[in-house]
Amino acid sequence: MTESEGAEEETTLHYFAIKTTSKQERTVADNIKKAVDQTDIKVYSVMAPKELQGYVLVETPEKLNRMEQLIERVPHARAILRGETALAEVAHFLVPKPVVSGIVEGTIIELIAGPFKGEKAIVKRVDSGKEEITVELYESMVPIPITVRGDNVRVIDRGEDR
Amino acid sequence: MAVSTKKQLPKVCRECHRVVDGETCVICSTSNLSTDWSGYLVVIDPINSEVAKKVNINLPGRYALKVR
Repeated sequence: MTESEGAEEETTLHYFAIKTTSKQERTVADNIKKAVDQTDIKVYSVMAPKELQGYVLVETPEKLNRMEQLIERVPHARAILRGETALAEVAHFLVPKPVVSGIVEGTIIELIAGPFKGEKAIVKRVDSGKEEITVELYESMVPIPITVRGDNVRVIDRGEDR
Repeated sequence: MAVSTKKQLPKVCRECHRVVDGETCVICSTSNLSTDWSGYLVVIDPINSEVAKKVNINLPGRYALKVR
């Protein structure tokens, strides 16, 4: 009983967050791989989600002190957070939801990029496959449909209270 | 001596989400590549990694989490 518990503990995976220099998350992930190849420290995967700026997540069977040893060899890795997380908490980063998920027809949005930046518009059609939305500008005299990328807009009013 | 060179994002295979160095994916042998991607995942040990199992990856390498 205790033996099996011991074996189970040995294979327990830990998920640590490593603080990185700003915009160097990808470099740090690559550097961790290089450092792992040069040492006997085991790391199974390194994740750098877009939503988590300034951090990378490592999946490892090793303890915190071994990870501290590892990051000393990794350029742009600044510190390791003392607390650890679980797979259930980081799993949502692995399946990013479509950027148009909160947008429906009739939603009022503001364009945040492109030639119409700063203009407000109303959503006329949502293409969740291509992650594009077709909008009509508020201020235009004639209704001209414009198709923009889903991540180029900011939702102002979802129209739920109407 | 400041040289302004914009770092170019590597290409990613649209089928297996693998970060590709050349013009074709070595795994899928397709040239259906994209530079519009986000999220980065380095799989070192796909056999023991729970993350790799979650995203159905069984080869070590560099992957994108989201590809357009």
